[in-house]
Amino acid sequence: MNRRDYLLRKFGLSIVTIFVVVIINFLLFRVLPGDPVRAVVGRNVRISAETQRALREQFGLDKPVFPDQFFDTLGQWAQGNLGVSWSLRRPVSEVLMSKLWNTVLLIGLGQLLSIIFGVILGLLAGWKRKTAIDVGALTFSLIAWAIPTFWLGIILLAAGSTWFGLPTGGIVSPINVGKPLYTIIPDVARHLILPTFTLTILYLGEYMLIMRSSILEVLSEDYILTAKAKGMSHWQVLWKHALKNAMLPIVTLIALNLGFTVSGAIYIETVFSYDGLGKLFQTALTKQDYPLLQGAFLLLAVSVIIANMAADVLYAVLDPRVKES
Amino acid sequence: MKRNLLYVLVLVTLLLSACGGGTTPTVVSATQPPASGGSDATLKIGWIGKPDTLNPAYAFLTESYTIFDLIYSTLVTEAADGTYEGMLAKDWSVSDDGLTWTYHLKDGIQWHNGGPFTAGQMAWAINAIMKDPEGWAASANYTGGFKEVTAPDDKTVVIVTEYPIANMDYRTSFLYAVYPPDFETFTTSADLQNFTNFAAIGTGPFKVKTFDKDTGVLLLDSNQAYFDGAPKIGGVIFQTFDNTDAMIQALKVGDIDLVNEVPASAFETVKGFENVTASAIDGRYFNELIINSVDPNNDPAPTGNPALADPAVRLAIAHSINKQDIVEVVAQGLATPGDTIVPPTLGGGFWHSPNVKEIPFDTAEASRVLEDAGYILGSDGVRAKGDLRLEFRLQFPSDSAVYPRIADLMAGWFAQAGMKATPEAVDPDALVAATTPAGDYDLVLWGWGPDPDPDFILSVMTTDQFVDGGWSDSGYHNPEYDQLYLDQQQIVDKAERQKVVWKMQEMVFNDRPYIVMYYEKMLQAYRSDRFAGFIESPLGIESAQSLLNVTAVK
Repeated sequence: MNRRDYLLRKFGLSIVTIFVVVIINFLLFRVLPGDPVRAVVGRNVRISAETQRALREQFGLDKPVFPDQFFDTLGQWAQGNLGVSWSLRRPVSEVLMSKLWNTVLLIGLGQLLSIIFGVILGLLAGWKRKTAIDVGALTFSLIAWAIPTFWLGIILLAAGSTWFGLPTGGIVSPINVGKPLYTIIPDVARHLILPTFTLTILYLGEYMLIMRSSILEVLSEDYILTAKAKGMSHWQVLWKHALKNAMLPIVTLIALNLGFTVSGAIYIETVFSYDGLGKLFQTALTKQDYPLLQGAFLLLAVSVIIANMAADVLYAVLDPRVKES
Repeated sequence: MKRNLLYVLVLVTLLLSACGGGTTPTVVSATQPPASGGSDATLKIGWIGKPDTLNPAYAFLTESYTIFDLIYSTLVTEAADGTYEGMLAKDWSVSDDGLTWTYHLKDGIQWHNGGPFTAGQMAWAINAIMKDPEGWAASANYTGGFKEVTAPDDKTVVIVTEYPIANMDYRTSFLYAVYPPDFETFTTSADLQNFTNFAAIGTGPFKVKTFDKDTGVLLLDSNQAYFDGAPKIGGVIFQTFDNTDAMIQALKVGDIDLVNEVPASAFETVKGFENVTASAIDGRYFNELIINSVDPNNDPAPTGNPALADPAVRLAIAHSINKQDIVEVVAQGLATPGDTIVPPTLGGGFWHSPNVKEIPFDTAEASRVLEDAGYILGSDGVRAKGDLRLEFRLQFPSDSAVYPRIADLMAGWFAQAGMKATPEAVDPDALVAATTPAGDYDLVLWGWGPDPDPDFILSVMTTDQFVDGGWSDSGYHNPEYDQLYLDQQQIVDKAERQKVVWKMQEMVFNDRPYIVMYYEKMLQAYRSDRFAGFIESPLGIESAQSLLNVTAVK
């Protein structure tokens, strides 16, 4: 199979997967107990029974789930329209886009830093096995990986705001809301410090541990011995022979994690009142906002599938054996 | 390209901060210097949640109404003491037949954009609701029974009603003067409802400067042309937090100046903060035990334990609830034991009946009542009369932190009297479905936040409300009560209406579809080193009346 066929097949499979996800999501949310109208308006003194009926009609909930609601939804999507969120009263695509970049900025930055530091730490620990560096890095990573997200976030928030005057929440100071981005970069950066730092610590452990075990495995291979026998320096062995091979599991992990980036980080976003997709998902679920839920899960499915495809392609580049098979 | 630049900048900042983290922590000033004295000081309010819309046609969240209070005006408004006073109206009167209400407007009222406000515009705003009650879903309840609204001249609004309306002041306090040009163009109800009005124009003491619909950050400027005297501060900022710990920390370090809802668990901590004043005053919320009172002939037939229909069992249950303990143990003393469904804060205490006689906590007495009624204690500790075992489901909404503890306490007290209650957390939506109109429950713990006027909370007990989408969860059905409810709606004389309202509370208290456990206190806090002059009342220290009185500390 040549590369074009391989990619086409992957692409075709991805389309089928997305379609299946769409159908499952549509049914899944409707199986949940409860009434979306009640969830949207709450236990509200201002809403009469008649108004609730009118809303149910407006949302299309008075019609049977299948075929009416199902084909209505599919028809809308076919036209590229994700509908209007019931709880936010704004187009779903607009809401998703407004949160997407916030989340990509925060999670992307957190991931990037944890990958860099995790891989370096893992490499060092594996290379300097059974030394103080190894034990220290291992202990730190295990603790970082085990810390509850919420707890770490709150501790860092309290410490950061008390000792360093860092903001207690949000993406920008209220006073800067609505100003052009380039004028408020220092403010945004200040707001990003604590959540990014928390994320970095949390993700770092995972990358470090995988990198460490991977490099240990590679270092015990015969070709490393051969390389050393040829008189190559430690750095050359590590850089030219060990690292590339040891990166394979990390690439998979990165791809998987990046795919889930758009699901946001509900805990982090909640602790730091950060306006991202994770919180949006949570709101959509608690409000049983079907259009928003469907849109959000579609976005999530598409990004996970794209990330997986990217991992497949990268794998083929990094490891020639994949291509051959 | 710009984004790359941003990444790099943020990265550099992060690295710098990480380097700084390695040194000994130094105490730095947490935020900007305290607000300077004078009228340019901006009050920063932190809250959980944000307004869903600034369009009164379709606003359901309390947060929206907090903002409406600051940016819009109404003909009359509720004062801190629970009475009503003129806002746009300098005086108002009702005709002898109780059908024609005449409001004379104050002078010098203008819109936030500088245009003059006229009586015709007020009449337009009310007529808009009457013409499209579906579109104005959130306001339509307030114009029920209105026949005609006119403005005979620029300073007079006349409302003619189909029948006498007892709570006219309360109703007009929710009919906002919205800016007609912003609302005239909508052709369908859905278009009107989707209009979020984030650049709202009103006549209130504060005007919208910026509203960021994503983050919920709202910047309000003082309306220097406000007809009742401009605010003494420069403006107000509302900032949304997603978790209370962060919000309380923000108050501590001075990122915000006011928290309008302090969680009970954090109240003691907040009281200890330097330069922060914490206030706990009686609020409107109450928490109750709902006893299944659904008519056995209802369709669908209720599945509650039939023993609950026995007044003796209800009395025994009432004797088995230690309200004082619940207040002290669960509510940490930040509540008061309750009795009737109309809290003492409504109308400044005017509507709360003083005539109910509290049932004392006494499980021995509960046992005696049950024994006399023929419920014999079984070997398993549960009383029974024939097939009727005193064994109940005790459900509560799963999103509550306090109900699980109350349910545990209650199950213990019930056991002392020979009744078995099994606590069970249920998804709130599922619980709504189980109560109304299915009647598929025995006992439920839940709460209400009544309106300032008793009408709504009284309506919750009417038979009509026990339908799909209605508000009755107890299924209480009492024709006499239903009639009294209709009567009180049309008694314009306050003293006369009070008698009926008292009687209705007493009926609910004695029949016990609800056992009101406690009234919650409103917990708020503010930075006293920056602002002073807040008015503590059930309206909240963030109400328009309070903020009009607030000054920056020099």
